[in-house]
Amino acid sequence: MARVPIVRVGPVLISTLLSGLLDQEVLQLQEELMDSIEQSGARGVLLDISTVETVDTFLGRLLADIAAGARLMGAHTVVVGLQPAVAVTLVEMGLEFKAVHVALNAEKGWALLRRLLAP
Amino acid sequence: MAEQAMPAQRAVTIEEQRRTIDELETPVLQVWDSVLALPIVGSLDTARAQRMTEALLEAISSTGSDVVILDITGVPVVDTATAKHLLETVSAAKLMGAEVMLVGIVTRTALTLVHLDIDLSSVITRTTMAKGMELAFARLGLEVVRRAGSGPAHPASDGGGPL
Repeated sequence: MARVPIVRVGPVLISTLLSGLLDQEVLQLQEELMDSIEQSGARGVLLDISTVETVDTFLGRLLADIAAGARLMGAHTVVVGLQPAVAVTLVEMGLEFKAVHVALNAEKGWALLRRLLAP
Repeated sequence: MAEQAMPAQRAVTIEEQRRTIDELETPVLQVWDSVLALPIVGSLDTARAQRMTEALLEAISSTGSDVVILDITGVPVVDTATAKHLLETVSAAKLMGAEVMLVGIVTRTALTLVHLDIDLSSVITRTTMAKGMELAFARLGLEVVRRAGSGPAHPASDGGGPL
């Protein structure tokens, strides 16, 4: 099974979701991210989904779940790089993205995380 | 069939008018660095709202804009369906990382929204595009000041504050 790498930069965990990930692989990423937050005490998560061209309800739910879980463990989640079609699909699904912060690209997401993590 | 009975000339005219209306679709204007504005004129049906949202999202992506101002001054009636379309556009733009403001909420529109019990609490609303721009500037950390000794001379404009 393909693994999704998680990179730690200071207090932030960075991961990139690729197109065509299997549900099982995304679930594994969720678990590994949670474990990483627990072990490293990371305070922010940056998820880049700029290469993801379509989302289904499963992936949409999981993004929201990852953010909600991270929130409970004291970390902010910023999802970056949503493509227009992905944004429209998520809105049509009517998903509550309450715990999720979004940014246009990784650069803006990083700036947002820095603001969120500022003392 | 009514369509078959219609004289060919009339059908052509209608087709031409339809094309003109399509061309009058909502343009996405870049009004400032990182600020996009959408002046929406006329009623908003599902198809139009979809095209508008697509154009907006593409523009956010290509210009890297941080703020979007939706101006509904030119929308005659904001009913439940229109409000739903607007909220969907707002949500989609937010997912692209943009902050969205809904301006042009005139008294009539505000009253309709209240009567229809439409919840717009998730959106920043203002009365005019000018107020929206003011807020956009504030969000971007910009300030508009009048240079000393310039600008219109009539007293009404002195010390008028921002816009």
